[in-house]
Amino acid sequence: MKTLLALLLPIALLAAEPLPPCCRPALAMGQPTDQSLYLLDSKWTSDVGREIKLGALRGRPQIVALFFTQCEYACPILVSELKTIESKLPPEVLGQVDFLLVSIDSKRDTPAELTTFRAKRQLTRERWTLLRGEPDDVRELAALLGVNYAEDARGQFAHTNLITLLNAEGEIAFQHTGLKQDPALLLAAIEKTTQAIPRPEPRP
Amino acid sequence: MTFRRALAFVATVLVLSAARGVEPAMVAIPATIYRPLFRGEKDAKEVAVAAFQLDVRPVTNGEFLAFVREHPKWQRAEVKRLFADERYLTHWAGDLDLGDARAEQPVTNVSWFAAKAFATARGQRLPTTAEWEVAAGAGFTIADGAKEPEFQQAVALWHGTPSPAALPEAGAGRANIFGVRDLHGLVWEWTSDFNSALVTGDARGDTGLERQLFCGAGSLGANDRGNFPAFMRFGFRSSLRAGYTVHNLGFRCAKNP
Repeated sequence: MKTLLALLLPIALLAAEPLPPCCRPALAMGQPTDQSLYLLDSKWTSDVGREIKLGALRGRPQIVALFFTQCEYACPILVSELKTIESKLPPEVLGQVDFLLVSIDSKRDTPAELTTFRAKRQLTRERWTLLRGEPDDVRELAALLGVNYAEDARGQFAHTNLITLLNAEGEIAFQHTGLKQDPALLLAAIEKTTQAIPRPEPRP
Repeated sequence: MTFRRALAFVATVLVLSAARGVEPAMVAIPATIYRPLFRGEKDAKEVAVAAFQLDVRPVTNGEFLAFVREHPKWQRAEVKRLFADERYLTHWAGDLDLGDARAEQPVTNVSWFAAKAFATARGQRLPTTAEWEVAAGAGFTIADGAKEPEFQQAVALWHGTPSPAALPEAGAGRANIFGVRDLHGLVWEWTSDFNSALVTGDARGDTGLERQLFCGAGSLGANDRGNFPAFMRFGFRSSLRAGYTVHNLGFRCAKNP
């Protein structure tokens, strides 16, 4: 009985919180387009432990960045910048985009590490997906986004700081390079992308 | 050349010609230390490279044709734009027709994704940049090519010569001490981690790489300022995207021993 409780309790706790965007029921929508990142067949694990393909994110624009939890330099700023963007989005847009952080540190960033990071940086499960993948798959995704990275002697990764906006189809809609850039252009691109999503017509 | 060495040379040539057109033979590259051309202060000055096997020559049009025949999703008309740009295999006459391209020439106009898929289908992989560079650093007669003037001259010569209109056959170049050919003098080649060519220690800006490596005093961070070809490769790799196809960019495969 005790073991049963021990098993059920975390599940009950989890159920109380919304699942991150990656792990909600997928919308079936046929073949991805020719330029869609959702053509990738690679498998990823989210901090809630579920294995997904990136295509699970299809249907809603994603604001994507590569990072790693042990990062001492740029990533804390990168994540802060994303949170700034989140805070600046008008409410009607905010409800329509998700944030996606993918770790380049396959060795150390286990789902548990990602969970800790989520809590530390207060990334809501409602909007933020945190993923880890195998080194080859990360290399592939990075290559598609145009992110270059290499591990240095101390286990830190030097990497391109790039924020990418994927449209609902998973195509690159906008990219914003470097840190400390004026987020106005990105914000404008986000609003444009979310307007492009067909919304259900209000009934007369 | 002593008689015995001449004999060994002839035997090697015979073996290689017999292998040509079938699977390109692979040779063993012993474990060694790679000294990256350019590193930030915090980066490793030396990277241990384990022993591996490397194709003696780049993959040819003929081999790539056999691959796309077996894997139609990599044919010109079928490939997704995400995985290869518009120039993919444009030097062929059709999906399964080489046209004027010769089967023995190295295949070019292939994206990183296509190269990777080819290697995977063979149960192999692309070499890492470190692996490729240690193989390319080996001279004709000694392991450290930097100490062999004849090798240095041959490499420099290629970098000063424009690509010929028609590429020579793959495997025709002079073999290095490990028996690998055409690492210099034929085509540029994809590496599995081409997108690790980077930037400074902590990479705050995207332009750090170019600034540090190519502008003025930045090049002082390079370990060997005389190694111009390595600079060129470094710059070339960092300018690539995985879907790009280029008329003089091909690949070869590697595998663990």
